[in-house]
Amino acid sequence: MATSIDIVVPDLGDFEDVEVIEILVSCGDTVEREDGLITIETDKAAMDVPSPENGVIEELAVAVGDKVSAGSLIGKLKIEVGDTVVIAPALIHEPTGDTTVLGSSARAARRIQKSGGVQTLVVPNLGDFEDVEVIEVHISDGDNIDVEDPLVTLETDKAAMDVPAVVAGRIESVLVKVGDKVSKGASLAIIDAVAVAITVSEKSPAAAPDTTQTSASAAAQTEAPARQQPSSSPELASINEAGFSRAHASPSVRKLARELGVDLAQVKGAGAKGRILHDDVKAFVKAILTGKAAGPVGGGLPTVPSIDFSKFGEIEVQALTRIQKISGPRLQASWINLPHVTQHDLADITELEAKRQSLKGPAKERGISLTPLAFVIKAVIAALQEFPIVNSSLADDGESLVFKKYIHIGFAADTDKGLMVPVIRDADQKDVYELATELGELSAAARDGKLKADQLQGASFTISSLGGIGGTAFTPIVNAPEVAILGVSRSSMQPVWNGSEFEPRLLLPLSLSYDHRVVDGAAAVRFTTFLGQKLADVENLLQAAS
Amino acid sequence: MADHQTQLVVIGAGPGGYTAAFRAADLGMDVILIERYDTLGGVCLNVGCIPSKALLHAAKVIDEAEAMAAHGVTFGKPKIDALKLRAWKNEVVGKLTGGLAQLAKQRKVRVIHGLAKFASANSLVLDSGETVGFESCIIAVGSEAVMLPGLPDDPRIIDSTGALELDPLPKRLLVVGGGIIGLEMACVYSALGTDVSVVELMDQLIPGTDKDLLRPFLKIVNPRYEAIMTSTKVVAMRSTVPGIEVSFEGKGVPETGVYDRVLVAVGRRANGDQLEADTAGVEVSDRGVIAVDKQMRTNVPNIFAIGDVVPGPMLAHKAMHEAKVAAEVAAGEKSYFDARTIPSVAYTDPEIAWVGLTETEAKEHGIDYEKTRIPWAASGRALSLGRAEGFTKLLWDKETGRVLGGAIVGPNAGDLITEVTLAIEMDADAADIGLTVHPHPTLSETVAFAAEAFDGTLTDLYMPKKR
Repeated sequence: MATSIDIVVPDLGDFEDVEVIEILVSCGDTVEREDGLITIETDKAAMDVPSPENGVIEELAVAVGDKVSAGSLIGKLKIEVGDTVVIAPALIHEPTGDTTVLGSSARAARRIQKSGGVQTLVVPNLGDFEDVEVIEVHISDGDNIDVEDPLVTLETDKAAMDVPAVVAGRIESVLVKVGDKVSKGASLAIIDAVAVAITVSEKSPAAAPDTTQTSASAAAQTEAPARQQPSSSPELASINEAGFSRAHASPSVRKLARELGVDLAQVKGAGAKGRILHDDVKAFVKAILTGKAAGPVGGGLPTVPSIDFSKFGEIEVQALTRIQKISGPRLQASWINLPHVTQHDLADITELEAKRQSLKGPAKERGISLTPLAFVIKAVIAALQEFPIVNSSLADDGESLVFKKYIHIGFAADTDKGLMVPVIRDADQKDVYELATELGELSAAARDGKLKADQLQGASFTISSLGGIGGTAFTPIVNAPEVAILGVSRSSMQPVWNGSEFEPRLLLPLSLSYDHRVVDGAAAVRFTTFLGQKLADVENLLQAAS
Repeated sequence: MADHQTQLVVIGAGPGGYTAAFRAADLGMDVILIERYDTLGGVCLNVGCIPSKALLHAAKVIDEAEAMAAHGVTFGKPKIDALKLRAWKNEVVGKLTGGLAQLAKQRKVRVIHGLAKFASANSLVLDSGETVGFESCIIAVGSEAVMLPGLPDDPRIIDSTGALELDPLPKRLLVVGGGIIGLEMACVYSALGTDVSVVELMDQLIPGTDKDLLRPFLKIVNPRYEAIMTSTKVVAMRSTVPGIEVSFEGKGVPETGVYDRVLVAVGRRANGDQLEADTAGVEVSDRGVIAVDKQMRTNVPNIFAIGDVVPGPMLAHKAMHEAKVAAEVAAGEKSYFDARTIPSVAYTDPEIAWVGLTETEAKEHGIDYEKTRIPWAASGRALSLGRAEGFTKLLWDKETGRVLGGAIVGPNAGDLITEVTLAIEMDADAADIGLTVHPHPTLSETVAFAAEAFDGTLTDLYMPKKR
């Protein structure tokens, strides 16, 4: 059975946009796995991109001079499946939940010596079934998988079953999608396998054909690998045994590390003389777990050296305020976890300011202090409605975006106890007077320390306005898990070329910091441009308001 | 269908086997324990550690009573009733093995007596013909004393098991093999009044240990034993009416000697090849040893091996720790054998104990170390015991000050070495040990002294040159 697969550029390390300097094959060529297909050249070295499989080149998608990066399509390869393939019995789940059958399952085990390299994962022997539907695909390109991780779920008229991976490695490309019909031997995915000797334990229900093994056949299977040295189970492979046994850790800590699969050679001890403590092992695991969710953040950040300042002069130690103690770690978490980029722009608020001055007096009579910030919020709301992604959040698992159908605007308030961020709820349903009123009330409450918990929660976007004090630009830290924050500096009258002459215009500096995992640069600058236009067109802004 | 079916079967009920069986049962597994002999406990309890220690205690009492004569306390010459001594030794053994049977029963471990062989990777067959099916198996079949080839068939040539019988007490005994087992039995027989000679093929007793450990030992035993012949080969043994005539080959040794008894203690051999383990696919070396990984798994994933049958020193305390790892892994826990070191002890008089790095190994592997050595002449307690010949030696990592290994010679060295073992496992350095308050006057102080000597804070001895 033949199938065609995409050939892509493998992970090249840190390189991107690498030039193709030679094409080594042409369409119709028969190639073997590891045969060079194209040669690429980085500023450091030239290298061949090898074929992932034996097969025939069906199509070439690159030419000499093209720039490619990891994942770029090189071409298509027609492969014969079945030749390089390892077949493992599936884990069969009876949908009826007949646990007595599973419970009494005979357990056999066998060992497969797997070499590394690119391999095809295929559908194992399914018994008498053919053309079974794929109802779920558990992997995607680039996933790192372990032995026995489910690849796909197949559904026959009798049972649904997971097809587990027989090797560990990185999925190069997934070859099936939900709804495909597959049979024994069909290719599911191309994997770049990790070279390990693995133990596959088979839990085969007595009822399943082809997978039940007699003791004799189990013994026969073990005979061949019996000549190998006893080797480690998969978890063992990742631990540097020499380093592990040298690590400065007591037996109970070593035991905990084994339970959690932690390589003590990589753990930094916080105990006396660098001794690794139980908590160090736990913290190491925690760092890895959060690192996984938040991107490539390793554990063990370098620490700032501690200095005895009293050596240099008189000092006084003052405890941080309660608010500083709370806000500090949150700011640091956001700074470390989010890739921040800040977009600076200037908004022309000449007309807006004139309008505000004309409205200020009457508003004052109604007891409302009509600040520029109220207008900025109004414009931000319009921009958030235009660019809902800026009002979203990244899901905890980093796999999806959460779009919020509400707009709650947080604004940074400077108080003598520290930085606070009160929240104006449902700001999009309020006109500029209502916004101004609420701004005043919340600011006063913040200064008096009278904000309630719910007045500090639920913001979907935050504004930090330092314009009342000064500054021309700054880089605010995103109030995670929000994805952006608008910093506003002091407006100033500046000469602006209008095409024929310089004109004095009142310009307001805007600084939008954003989480680059969610918002890209183009979107961010479109957002600030849109915001600037809204602020420039005050009549429109206020009309939209009422 | 097998006659017996179980989750876990343990073959061999020595210290490794029963520990594995009991640990697995405590973890909720259904366990069968197979033992070829009538009593549980294996070599250690029946014909090894325990009975030999009972006899060594008797030897110690005799020797100490005699030693006090020099200090003004004189007893009469001891009268040895070998039968009664043997009965007491057997009573000690009986108590322990009976206790094991009780412990097995309380844990609902099914004990089957019989000789097991593999029928497949999931079943055993016993010499009775019964079959035992299992999901996991722990091989704990231990080792046996090696007999020299070509010896005459004569009941006066015995192994360690025979030596423990004391039947009858010989006038003249030759111990072939100067290892721990041979030296311990030499110690017992010497105290009971036998003229003992020891012959060893290598150039030192207890081959492999640091030679300095032997000096205090030889100081004590040289005057007591008839002869200690190292670098000497036993070339022939002949049964004659007066005794066993043994021919030697070596420098400055008699050509022949006639002995009432010859104890052959030249080593032990793993029993891994008595199981037809290849039927299950388990690889066994031509020396009967089964290789395992750090989880005590053989090359067949559901079959484990522990104790004397796997590589490493043949010691009960090693087997017992390996046993727990194997049982826990079989029960699905992520356990590993991560002990850094296994202490060795010769329960001779004086006792010789060592753990971790030895100087011999350090020199062999080019490991840089610093040594501190405290002669027991500096210990008030040792002097008051009338035993100043011993010493405590510790080896240190020069850079970190961590203890790498240690050796102790003298009474109770086997108990004292435990502190050094714990220090190695805990990564203690010289300050950790030296700053720990040790009770005075005890022999344990010598360990603290050795640490202080490394730190340069020792006051009980004058050691110039230190920082």
